[in-house]
Amino acid sequence: MEKFLQWIEAKFMPPMAKLAEQRHLRAIRDGIISTLSLIIVGSFFIIVAQPPVKAWSDAIAPNAGKILIPFRLTTGLMALYAAYGMGYSLAKSYKLDGVSGGVLSLAAFLLLTIPVNVDAVLTAAQKAGVKGAAPIGGWVLPMANLGGAGMFGAILAMIFAVETLRLLKKYHVTIKMPEQVPESVARSFEALIPAAVIIVVVWFIRVWLNFDIQKFLMDVFKPIQNVAGNSIWGVIVPIFLITLLWAAGIHGVSVIGSILRPFWLVALEQNAQAAAAGTASTQLPNLVPEQFFQWFVWIGGSGATLALCILMVFSKSEYLKRVGRFSIVPGIFNINEPIIFGVPIVMNPILSIPFIIAPLVTGIVSYIASAAGLVGRFTVLAPWTLPAPFGAYAATNGSWAAAILTIVNIGIALVIYYPFFKMYEKKMLAEEHAAANNQLSM
Amino acid sequence: MKVLMVCSGGMSSAIVVKAIKQEADKQGFPLEIKAVGTGEFEEELKTGGYDLAIVAPQVKHRMDVFKEQASSANVPIELIVPMGYTPIGAPKVLEQIKKHVK
Repeated sequence: MEKFLQWIEAKFMPPMAKLAEQRHLRAIRDGIISTLSLIIVGSFFIIVAQPPVKAWSDAIAPNAGKILIPFRLTTGLMALYAAYGMGYSLAKSYKLDGVSGGVLSLAAFLLLTIPVNVDAVLTAAQKAGVKGAAPIGGWVLPMANLGGAGMFGAILAMIFAVETLRLLKKYHVTIKMPEQVPESVARSFEALIPAAVIIVVVWFIRVWLNFDIQKFLMDVFKPIQNVAGNSIWGVIVPIFLITLLWAAGIHGVSVIGSILRPFWLVALEQNAQAAAAGTASTQLPNLVPEQFFQWFVWIGGSGATLALCILMVFSKSEYLKRVGRFSIVPGIFNINEPIIFGVPIVMNPILSIPFIIAPLVTGIVSYIASAAGLVGRFTVLAPWTLPAPFGAYAATNGSWAAAILTIVNIGIALVIYYPFFKMYEKKMLAEEHAAANNQLSM
Repeated sequence: MKVLMVCSGGMSSAIVVKAIKQEADKQGFPLEIKAVGTGEFEEELKTGGYDLAIVAPQVKHRMDVFKEQASSANVPIELIVPMGYTPIGAPKVLEQIKKHVK
């Protein structure tokens, strides 16, 4: 195991870390993170619109449409916000103007969707006597591809826009103004060519070639999306890679999440849209958005370390007891660096085994429970520092079974950690004993 | 001395920062220390007037990026020793910090 951990640190970690630090992936990660506060707040409106208690939800039903508006304009437009955020980050990473990068990405992204004028339809409906139908007097932008479904389109549009900006600048393809023209005016003309190129190219492809890039990308990514957001492999592979990285002392979620978070978010948004349309929590389309890991698996933090914390609080080893005591409160709120670096678990040939195995087992158990419809599926992005049962309850929009499953998973993790913990405790006790004897003899 | 610590989200480092501050007070070492997540690091470093940046061990894979950001802000930067990144590891980190006293 020791050799294996050294191999991970020397061979496995550097390429993974390098991949996660790749410029475009970093821009995607940072851009998406910038939208999370909106998605957290927006998705909570689903709970308000559909409270878990039936009497309340019946009372609220007539107003559910109004309550869901903040959700529709935040979570429902996540790709729109991400397009700006990602473009900003990528431009910044090239030391270009962030706002220009963000705005150009946003424009490229919006050009992928064709606005429609529905006034004729609405007028006809009004004449036919449909309740509430009235012409709105203008063009509308269909929202379907501005949310999760448009995420891959946003990523592509962002890369295209910012790379165009960069290359045109690099090769000095700009409008040259006579020298008498003030610099600020000249600079405003400088931004014209990138904007013109981006708009014309995207417009030509989308409108004149009538190539639906959004749909094409969604089709291309669908197989990956299904594996990442809905299959048992989407549970096992990320857990294995994340705990391996942590065992080598690297923030696994930060690395693996950079790559998988777009898929996880798309999965969550599909669930949220289905829930907003009235689908029951156990029937939602996706089983494995990021929240699945957050609430069912990473209880106490990556590696399901809350169980280990509990064992350590009662340890006979003075040192482990001390680490357990200062780690338990952060652990309840899913912060586990104190325990990972305190015990330490990093490069620890004994404790890194349950650190990898326990989450795998609880992940598989939770997947089965979720697939069987025993627990609610995830619709809400709840802050990750909530204690697991509360977080699971909120994120599944009020599934008691999900909250109970977190307790069951803590129990499973306890059982798996126990023998390894005892082994390590024995080692620590021997060391403490030897140290005490040394002091006595001195 | 003014020190900035960066970790993934600025959560775990808040715990460590508190312990380091306590240790510094105990030793009578004048220390102002703040923790941020990776996203805020560059901006904070540029505007905060820091004497030193320290990096939490679990984000060491991003060290190259941090180094670049620190050198453009003209702030020395150091990686925290793994066992220092706990409340009881505070003395170790404080030692690391003290090495940078001018």
